[in-house]
Amino acid sequence: MQTVDCEGKTTREINREIHRVIEAGEKEITLLNPRARHNLAVAILRPVRIIIEGSVGYYCAGMIGGPTVEIRGSAGWGLAECMMAGTVVVDGNAGNGAAASIRGGTVVIRGDAAARAGISMKGGCLIIEGNAGYMTGFMAQKGTIVILGDADEALADSMYEAEIFVAGRIAELGNDAVVHEPSPGDLAAVSATLSRFDLSVPRTLQKVVAGRKLWNFDKKDFELWKEAL
Amino acid sequence: MCGIVGFFDKRPDGVGPVGKIVLSLLTTLGRRGPDSAGAALYADPEGLVVRVKLGERGDLGPRAAEVSERARQLTRVLATDVQGHYLRLVLEALREVRAFELALETVHPEVEVVSVGHRLEIVKELGSPANLETTFGLSAFTGSHGIGHTRLSTESRVDLSHSQPFWAHGTLDLAIVHNGHITNYHKLRRRYEQRGIRFYTDNDSEVIGIYLADRMAQGLPFDEALRASVRDLDGSFSYLAATAEAFGYAKDPFCLKPLIVTESEEFVALANEEVAIRTTFEGTLETWEPSNRQVQAWFLPRGGGRQAA
Repeated sequence: MQTVDCEGKTTREINREIHRVIEAGEKEITLLNPRARHNLAVAILRPVRIIIEGSVGYYCAGMIGGPTVEIRGSAGWGLAECMMAGTVVVDGNAGNGAAASIRGGTVVIRGDAAARAGISMKGGCLIIEGNAGYMTGFMAQKGTIVILGDADEALADSMYEAEIFVAGRIAELGNDAVVHEPSPGDLAAVSATLSRFDLSVPRTLQKVVAGRKLWNFDKKDFELWKEAL
Repeated sequence: MCGIVGFFDKRPDGVGPVGKIVLSLLTTLGRRGPDSAGAALYADPEGLVVRVKLGERGDLGPRAAEVSERARQLTRVLATDVQGHYLRLVLEALREVRAFELALETVHPEVEVVSVGHRLEIVKELGSPANLETTFGLSAFTGSHGIGHTRLSTESRVDLSHSQPFWAHGTLDLAIVHNGHITNYHKLRRRYEQRGIRFYTDNDSEVIGIYLADRMAQGLPFDEALRASVRDLDGSFSYLAATAEAFGYAKDPFCLKPLIVTESEEFVALANEEVAIRTTFEGTLETWEPSNRQVQAWFLPRGGGRQAA
């Protein structure tokens, strides 16, 4: 295991050092003193393990494809944005737009997620152990979001084929979002995903999907379109 | 962009290095707003403190003497001090704040009272937060709470007058800092101007202080005024507001601007990037981002010990 100390280094120097250590064959890297700096551990395409000892700022673990990134603190805006594969686990809370536009892999937020988590997801999985903020899953096209706490307003607004599972209370569904009973197959899949992170399926679980009324324009649904963002 | 920061000491009668803390928070967020920097700090000075901007440039010595003289004609002045482009006056008391302010401002069109308060002092400079230290010795300021701002101008000119924090002219001790845009600014401004309220700048953020002052004059407590603002202000905002006894934030309905909160037994710190908090405070602090329309306010224990969520 190798450590990279962020203290006194520019963001570019930190990321270059991480990449250099990975190129040299290292499989486990610990980042010290991140102090909520932005753009840490980005664009990593190898299946290495990166442990960040503290909170991170914006866009941590963005554009990654393969690594496991463990954040021993909280995360700012755009966590794991555009991730292709791998795993990102945050011990604390996450800021706006966590797991935005991810295409694969799994993001786990042990605390609460702020607004627009999982916005425009195109695949992969987002697990929020705490509460999910405003507009979670907005326009998500594919993939799965599991919320073990409560969900705030505008949940699953204007969504495509993503699926959201909520254990707690839903403050308000977004435009065109509908609630279904999860099938045994759904529960088995959620259970398998959660067990990877020592989490069990909660007793009650609602499944939220698109009502498909916003997928194609129809004059009959004009009122719905006026409301939709 | 714009950086906004806040610090509130929760300890009973807590007086700490608020200037040093606000300066540290601001320094980290200097790159969010390179145009200007400012702070509104709250302490217990020896009288009523008035901060006056004498002008934007040039030799302001004679004007300082003239403004001081005008003040002496109107009330008892305990102390005067010139700091950069500013004059600091300590008064025994004031009967008519607004009348006093307007009287000083007749000295020259560039003269502007930037704050009046029993506890509030506002300092602003162009450029980086380091200039607040050079001109005002910000880090030596002790008190209970403070808010700060680094500005990246997007809608109005860059000068001392358009810099933040904004004091709500005429209302003792009320100040705000804002990140975002108030999109119904012109409509609100017209409405207030029809009622005879003067705007000092073309900066949309100025209307927030005027709005809160108006709401509080109607009898709303500080936290309720903040709550009402989330319904009445349009656009994107994370803003912080403070009075002699209170401190709080409000977030827009769409969560368009960042704000990070941390609270311990001793203090509350706010900043729109967590990096400011982590470079200022050591130790394990939980941080979180408030949700849309969220408002939170804290009150000094000496102000009655009330705390609202």
